[in-house]
Amino acid sequence: MKIAVCIKRTPDSESRFKIAGGGTAIDEAGLKFDMDDFAGYAVEVALQLNEKQGPGETVAIAVGPDNVQETLRKAMSMGAERAVHLKVDAMPFDGLATAKALAAELKTGGFDLILFGKYAFDTSAGVVGTATAELLGVPGVTAVSKLDIANGRGTARREIEGAGEVVEFPLPAVVTIDEGIARPRYPSLKGIMAAKKKPLETKPAQLGPVRVTVKKMELPPDRPPGRIVGQGAAAVPELVRLLQNEAKVL
Amino acid sequence: MANVLVFAESRGTELRKVALEAVTAGRALADATGGGEVHALLAGPPGIATKASQLGQYGADLVLVCEHAGFTKYARESVAAMLADRARAGYRAVLIPFSANGRDLGPRLAARLDAPIVSDIISFSAAGDALTVKHPGYANKVIIELEVKGSPAVLSVRPSAFTPKEASRTARIETLAPAVDPGAERVVVKEIIEGAKGKLDLGEAPVIISGGRGLRGPENFKLVEDLAAAFGNAAVGATRAVTDEGWRPHSDQIGQTGRQVSPQLYIAVGISGAIQHLAGMRTSKTIVAINKDPEAPIFKVADYGVVGDVFEIVPALTSAVREAKKGH
Amino acid sequence: MTAENVVFLLVVVVAAGFFSLNVQRLIEYMRLGKAEYRTDQLFLRTWNVARVGIAQTKILREPIAGLMHATIFWGFMVLTAGTIELLISGVFPSFSYARFLPGALYRGYELSQDTFAVLVLGAVGFAYFRRLVLRPRRLQGDNVEHLDAYIILGLIGALMLTYLLAGGFLAVARPGAVAETRFASHIVGDALSRMGVSAAWIGYRVSWWTHALLVLAFLNYLPYSKHLHVVTSLFNVFFSNTSWKGERAVMRPMNLEADVEKFGAADVEDLTWKNLLDGYSCTECGRCTAVCPANITGKPLSPRKIVVNARQRLMEKGPMITSDRMEFLRPMFVHGEGADAKARTPDEVLQHRLLDQYISEEELWACTSCRACVQECPVSIDQLDVINEMRRFLVLSESRFPPEVQPAFESLERNGSPWAFAQSDRAKWAEGMNVPTMAQLHERGERPDVLFWVGCMGSYDDRAKRITVAFARILQSCGIRFAILGQEEHCHGDPARRMGNEYLYQMLAKDTIETLNRYDVLTVVTSCPHCFHQIGNEFPQLGGNYEVIHHSTYIERLLQENRVPLQTEEGKRLTVAYHDSCYLGRYNDVYDAPRETLRRALPVMTLVEPKRTRDRGLCCGAGGGRMFMEERTGKRINAERVEELLATGADTIAVACPFCMTMMNDGAKARDASVQVLDIAEVVAERLA
Repeated sequence: MKIAVCIKRTPDSESRFKIAGGGTAIDEAGLKFDMDDFAGYAVEVALQLNEKQGPGETVAIAVGPDNVQETLRKAMSMGAERAVHLKVDAMPFDGLATAKALAAELKTGGFDLILFGKYAFDTSAGVVGTATAELLGVPGVTAVSKLDIANGRGTARREIEGAGEVVEFPLPAVVTIDEGIARPRYPSLKGIMAAKKKPLETKPAQLGPVRVTVKKMELPPDRPPGRIVGQGAAAVPELVRLLQNEAKVL
Repeated sequence: MANVLVFAESRGTELRKVALEAVTAGRALADATGGGEVHALLAGPPGIATKASQLGQYGADLVLVCEHAGFTKYARESVAAMLADRARAGYRAVLIPFSANGRDLGPRLAARLDAPIVSDIISFSAAGDALTVKHPGYANKVIIELEVKGSPAVLSVRPSAFTPKEASRTARIETLAPAVDPGAERVVVKEIIEGAKGKLDLGEAPVIISGGRGLRGPENFKLVEDLAAAFGNAAVGATRAVTDEGWRPHSDQIGQTGRQVSPQLYIAVGISGAIQHLAGMRTSKTIVAINKDPEAPIFKVADYGVVGDVFEIVPALTSAVREAKKGH
Repeated sequence: MTAENVVFLLVVVVAAGFFSLNVQRLIEYMRLGKAEYRTDQLFLRTWNVARVGIAQTKILREPIAGLMHATIFWGFMVLTAGTIELLISGVFPSFSYARFLPGALYRGYELSQDTFAVLVLGAVGFAYFRRLVLRPRRLQGDNVEHLDAYIILGLIGALMLTYLLAGGFLAVARPGAVAETRFASHIVGDALSRMGVSAAWIGYRVSWWTHALLVLAFLNYLPYSKHLHVVTSLFNVFFSNTSWKGERAVMRPMNLEADVEKFGAADVEDLTWKNLLDGYSCTECGRCTAVCPANITGKPLSPRKIVVNARQRLMEKGPMITSDRMEFLRPMFVHGEGADAKARTPDEVLQHRLLDQYISEEELWACTSCRACVQECPVSIDQLDVINEMRRFLVLSESRFPPEVQPAFESLERNGSPWAFAQSDRAKWAEGMNVPTMAQLHERGERPDVLFWVGCMGSYDDRAKRITVAFARILQSCGIRFAILGQEEHCHGDPARRMGNEYLYQMLAKDTIETLNRYDVLTVVTSCPHCFHQIGNEFPQLGGNYEVIHHSTYIERLLQENRVPLQTEEGKRLTVAYHDSCYLGRYNDVYDAPRETLRRALPVMTLVEPKRTRDRGLCCGAGGGRMFMEERTGKRINAERVEELLATGADTIAVACPFCMTMMNDGAKARDASVQVLDIAEVVAERLA
């Protein structure tokens, strides 16, 4: 199968963040960047599908400034055959604008399957994948935890709050990948060496108009130091009250 | 004065709580942008219409109801088409819940309408033409304030960010026909597997109750399971210590070499909080620890701690949670 | 020279020729391995041969079996002189050492021959008894071949018997021909004294020839037997590095820039000639396996099997690749070759590998790199070397490793620590303690006397942080000017290296060296033996040369110099069992400093030793990257060790390593034991005035 995987370069999800001077972005000093976690799952799904189904091609595509090429090389070190870099000066927050750039590139690609991560760690929005499906006019399935492809059709499972939804759809289609489906393989040294020689094409991204912009970024109020609510079963009513009204998780 | 369109999510013939939250948010947004109307769109199988008035209780002026057998399950393309069609009639914003299906619906709508979209908002403010929203990014580590230009704007609302507020209106009801035959969906729902049979996945569960060595034996995990059942949307996890002992399956292990989870609520029962375990759950939104040892490291990362005998505390908590959940 | 002499000469020439063909064959196989330079440090190497080889120091670690073997070995060396004399006299009948040795010396020599013939015979008898009746555990398992052993013992026994018989017969046939000092031969002769002279002469000639033929047969049996070690072991000890202090325990440097198809070892040609020589030298004694913590607790790993498999594979593949003229004899004397792998056709042989067909992944990952196997081996085989090289292959060439290791690799790469903790939290333990960072001192234009390398455990693990704080307090109380790297510290990559990920390791190590060099660091003290070993002994491979001291040694020095302000009251009467850390002990010979530290800090305590202690100490189970892996088979290693420590009756277990701390703590908790586990720094800190 010819599979496209759209990936993103994001900061390591374990980092502690600080806001940069201007207040509109995070301070990147000391941060490590890598392929977004969900994008990684998507790459792994693509590679596994092609390994199972016989000869195919996995193409990694990313929108971003030049530094995203490192991430595309990582996808190739995992096994993607080639990569396409859609170049922008700065990554917009506007998911629809990005989706338009990707749709323009994917339209003529003749892909059987296009995979995205469910959402990207930084924006945590989950817009680009399904929007791209709509722009391309192909079926889109969001946030799958299981995916099988056979005879030009796909079967997937989505988790929908306490239940699982099993869907079927024809290819070509866009699928966004949830976690738990596959552990991204660790690139072997051989893979890393080979990736250096695989083709990476750069072209300007045809972004849509950017209508969602970051006005400000701030850190959430500090996690207040935890406290011991009480001793024994007597503390339970207070705990429940706090969970309901303070933490709002009940 | 601009109207706000709200998608009232339902499942089967029941309204979901997030629908009421969305209507509440829609009401607040309409009031903040000049006091326009809130129109709610409700699509479901025959019988859903009876729920329309409930939407009015929370602030909807008009409820557009589409009853069709095809909406017994989520017919994504049909719903998106219907919503987009209606939205073109001139709304300031379209609000949908950021639920599992809402995440699917939002981007479709935005693409069809060529409208700007912001997902997972926790608050908004409007000043003239400008619409500003707040959205937690970077896995809830950074609050991002975004400006959205353009009308309509598609906004999906974080579940539990807006508490449903009664603002009683007597909603007018209009019937809608589906824009596109739900039977013509390319993505066909074959099956819904109910949660009781399929265990809630640790990665998905908004609530996780985990048990550790403090439970003393595999049979005592029943306490944890009961508590999870009381929550209804909780999964049961375990520490490496107990999975190594064979009390729980390895797939339940949360920690460095097990699952790494980030639920809304993590309750650690009888867990000391070794580095191995903490590495797997530290980013949970709210952490509750129950342990008999006040010096246990888990209390350093917990938001709320209860010191004492887990065998007394957990059953008490279970009853209390059951009571609290009755109002849902 | 008579016709008999000529025939004998022919026999010797044929036997020697056959033997030499086999030697050539074996050398040719050995050269399939990679090249390696091992002729440095000639004095040290020779000294090892004298110590480990001739003096049998490692063999004698087991007193009874050791004495048995030493007797046979020394006997072998002494009797070889006689064998040579005999063989020469077979061609030149009048030859004898008596020609050039003074009489007394020659008689002494003859006494030695008889004495050792008896001793060796006794030892052989005991060996049979041991193998057949006592059946020690380490001689079972791993498809160990007893038949081979019985044959060799039989040959040795027969050699001794024929020697004594020859002497006995000769004493009857030619009275006076056998010197008085040959007491044993005379005893035999007395028993045979009723034979007629001509019958005795025939007996003598028959015994003599039998003895000579047995010698030649024995010689030619060796290449097909595990007793090849008789030929190779002294060479093996010579070429070994396993006894060199500190340096010995480093993993091989690796050039990742090299344009090679694979990294690490999957098959015999990826090993070096020395690894293959190790294979020739293994007698399957099983001492390594008997002390392997993985094996003891039921994992499939057996260091003996690793070495034997390497040899078996070499014997299987070697003939395929070289022009083996001796191939036709191989099936007759197959010594377990290919048995494990069961290749049936030449194609299969070539498709198979040492990895997977012989040695499984599970075996390789079960290793804790404790070096107990290397410590025990009487012929200085390096089993760990093969395991390490094969791990490198698994990770670098095939990306195969236990799935739970991946988060550790990824976290090391992104986060500089094997656990998902924020870099910015590294120095949190130091809050409120007024500990300066290198950066702060550098800004003020100052330099500390020593850099305190905290390590990832000490920075993040709640329990280990207390050790860090304790040591920092000790340093402060002595007025030591020290600093930490704080947030500039990240893992030096040792866990990655131990788990075979050399690429990740070199990235982390090189970056660390850069940081250390930037601050002109000369001396480092650390409370973690893994950090100690890595920075002190392995960093030089990448150009980082620093003096690194473990905190046990450092504290001991401070105590010796009376620089530590200790309380004057006598302190608690604890009974302490100190658990030796493998990376301190077997890797770096640090056994006494921690004990001394305990004695000086707590003069009233009683120090008890567990059954397996010092260089025989049982590993806690966390080394070799196993801290980051699941233990799925058999008994938990830390449980085994804790049981042993508790059996001493101690109320306190003392450790000098944060990994051991975790393991002992977990183990004690699992048994609900009320013993306290303390790091030696904590013991000292508690005693600060």
